[in-house]
Amino acid sequence: MEGNSPAVERRPRPWRAAAALAALALPGAASAQSFMGARGLGVPVVAVGARAAALGNLGIGLGGVEVSAGDPATWAGLVLPTVSITMQPAWGEFDMNEQSGNSRATRFPLLGIGYPVPGARGAVTLSLAGHLEQRFVAVNRSTVVLNEVEVEAEDRRAVDGGTSVVRLGWAQRLGSRFAVGLSVGSYVGRLEKVFDRELDSLAVGGEVYSLLEENSWRYGGTSVIAGFNADPAGLLHVAGAVEWSGDLKEAPLGETAGESAYSIPPRFSGGATGRLSPRLHLNVSAVYQDWSAAEGFGEGVVSERKWNFGAGLEWLLVGGETRSLPVRFGYRRLAAPFRYEKEDPVESIWSLGAGLNFVKVGNKRFGWMDVALERGARTSEPLAERFWRATVSLGVARF
Amino acid sequence: MKELPARSSGRATGTALVLAALCGCQELLPVVESEDLTRPGFSIELILSFDEFAETARVYGGYGRASELAGGFVAHEFGGQSEGGGPRGPGLEAATLMRFGRYPRAAQVLDTTGTLRPDSSLTFLSGRVLARFDTIGSVREGPVEVVAHALSEPWDGVSATWEYSVDTVGHRVAWSRPGGGLVEEIASAVWDPETGDSVGIPVDSAWIAQWADTTDLGRGVRLSTTTPGVRLRVTGSVLRLDTRPSVNPDTIIVLPAGPEATTFIYAPAPSQPRKTLRVGGAPAWRTVLSIDIPRVLEGPGELCDAVGCPVEIGEDHVSFAALRLVTRAGARAFAPSDTLSIDVRSVLAPQFLPKSPLGPSRLGLGGKWLSHELFEPPAGELVEIALTSLVRDLLRGETAAGDPITNTVALLSTFEPVSLEYHTFEGAASPDAPGLRLILNFSREN
Repeated sequence: MEGNSPAVERRPRPWRAAAALAALALPGAASAQSFMGARGLGVPVVAVGARAAALGNLGIGLGGVEVSAGDPATWAGLVLPTVSITMQPAWGEFDMNEQSGNSRATRFPLLGIGYPVPGARGAVTLSLAGHLEQRFVAVNRSTVVLNEVEVEAEDRRAVDGGTSVVRLGWAQRLGSRFAVGLSVGSYVGRLEKVFDRELDSLAVGGEVYSLLEENSWRYGGTSVIAGFNADPAGLLHVAGAVEWSGDLKEAPLGETAGESAYSIPPRFSGGATGRLSPRLHLNVSAVYQDWSAAEGFGEGVVSERKWNFGAGLEWLLVGGETRSLPVRFGYRRLAAPFRYEKEDPVESIWSLGAGLNFVKVGNKRFGWMDVALERGARTSEPLAERFWRATVSLGVARF
Repeated sequence: MKELPARSSGRATGTALVLAALCGCQELLPVVESEDLTRPGFSIELILSFDEFAETARVYGGYGRASELAGGFVAHEFGGQSEGGGPRGPGLEAATLMRFGRYPRAAQVLDTTGTLRPDSSLTFLSGRVLARFDTIGSVREGPVEVVAHALSEPWDGVSATWEYSVDTVGHRVAWSRPGGGLVEEIASAVWDPETGDSVGIPVDSAWIAQWADTTDLGRGVRLSTTTPGVRLRVTGSVLRLDTRPSVNPDTIIVLPAGPEATTFIYAPAPSQPRKTLRVGGAPAWRTVLSIDIPRVLEGPGELCDAVGCPVEIGEDHVSFAALRLVTRAGARAFAPSDTLSIDVRSVLAPQFLPKSPLGPSRLGLGGKWLSHELFEPPAGELVEIALTSLVRDLLRGETAAGDPITNTVALLSTFEPVSLEYHTFEGAASPDAPGLRLILNFSREN
């Protein structure tokens, strides 16, 4: 506290800022650019905050109290109502055969709100997390002969869409070293595909219109995730979760025809954080998800790879009574579920970052801002994509 | 628990908002050229015969008047061959009638001391009728003799025709002699196009004095030619008055008197076409087509192989559409001698034809320009008039703005009338009947 004014008069109304950020987030949620999942449902979104991104973490097993969509038990430690939002600008480039290009996007992969219920030693949780996304433009140029004249034709297909998961859950503390959590979620999102065929008006010789076909679908489905975490010893924190999803349904909108359903395989995840020294922590995490038997996809579309893993180090550079400044370093290796052509895709990401904990008491953070910078590459011959990605997370308690 | 430093959280929020604003949400999509990632498109060109896209084609005449042309024609024994190459007739006779307005009442004149003064006491001595011709649109070979006659019978500058001096609704007065009634020659002159675009015909003081009476409805000049086989387009005329001012009687000044009414009369009038289509003329002709574009296609095989038949076509599939007309060498008397434009407009109330209102131009400002060479014997040239937006509207059932649309369209001059000349096209019963060229786009699932 500063000065003599009552604290209540000095509150910055962080919920207003959170609402403003959420308003920014919604239109851009679950949008990114990649050709990797063009034949499937897109590329997966690792919906984690900037701390996990910097540590190469997969969203589970971080020490302390976190706002995480993939670790339902970690919310149990919340002491005050907490909101966290993550923003993620990315700059990408790709090479495919003899072509290359760039992309740029800003997305908001994770929004979480936790509201503790002290009497029940638990917390109500609500999150909106990115899941899969696809956004690209493909062009094909050809020549047709019309009226004995060769006319250039350009076919253009723009794909824009993705899925997110809205989860409502409960996290429960059981004793001082153990917690469990359960969230029920619903897949949301939509997919829009716009096809445009345009002929060269100079060759045709007059007023030429292009063919424009717009199709859109809405996604729906259910998801349940359950998990636990434990602090068996003061030096170790472990967590695990399993997520079951029903079919992801793709329902046509408007005049669009064609309804589809895709099975989403169970997802098993686990992670741990160990204290190597009072200022240094090591974190590891892994996710197993077998897409190879998923139904609804064409032959040869899904990848045979099943394992994702990541690891990272967190070093407390500055540690004050209530404030601290950790720096982080990590690596992740991910298996995207959908091939570009025949090769199973692999994504590897090196990351570093820092955090600014405005208020931290013990292992509980009440106001923070984390930043991460990632350099990643994903390949699935003949496609190679590279990207720089920045992640900024803001967390505010007591709103 | 310690009180949370709220100001720090506020700073964090503000910082995040600034970062979000700096990063922005502007996205750059990756674009790749790939046949695999886009749906394959398919384009096909179809030529629909007249029976496949139209129901009827009719020609209506009588739109506008010759006096609205702002100019006139003079012709003598021009284009005697009848439409269709029949035996020679007498050819086209045409004359331009002009009635000059009130003479100037005052003028600024230099007096004997060299001072510019207003003078309202003017004496008109003699004058010249000055006529300007369209050197490109006129048909002639060598110099042409142009004759000016004085009219003597009252005539209407708006409605006068070759047979009638007044031809309004419910009121007709015939000339005592077709072609302007009793006339008296004023003078003649030879116009040599090599020396300029104008000719001056002298007028003596007696005619100048007589034409000063503006209550005389019979006053006027009939401009014609005695040179056979010519058709000249008159683009302007003026009466130049040799005037003696009272403030400087030793000086002759020239003052203009502009035309109060100008029209042209001609004979013979073109007859209603039976087997051909006609656009233009003065009064103007229109060709009205009733269109019925098929919405379901059963062929050709190339289309069926690509997207499967039957194929239902909508406006989105139409990339390009054009009306195909084949030119015909019509009556030489009215054949185009210069490039003229035609327009296409929707007929908004076909049940009221020939007086139905028309919609806006389908071809934009200027219309479709057609060279006169296309209509010179043996003609038979193919002319395409782009009608893509019209065809898309017809398939949609309304215009892009949501206004109702009929399936009847009119081919007409961009302005009516724009010339004595008209375009002639092969009719619906001809082997070269109008057709409709369509370029259709489709997408295929990959």
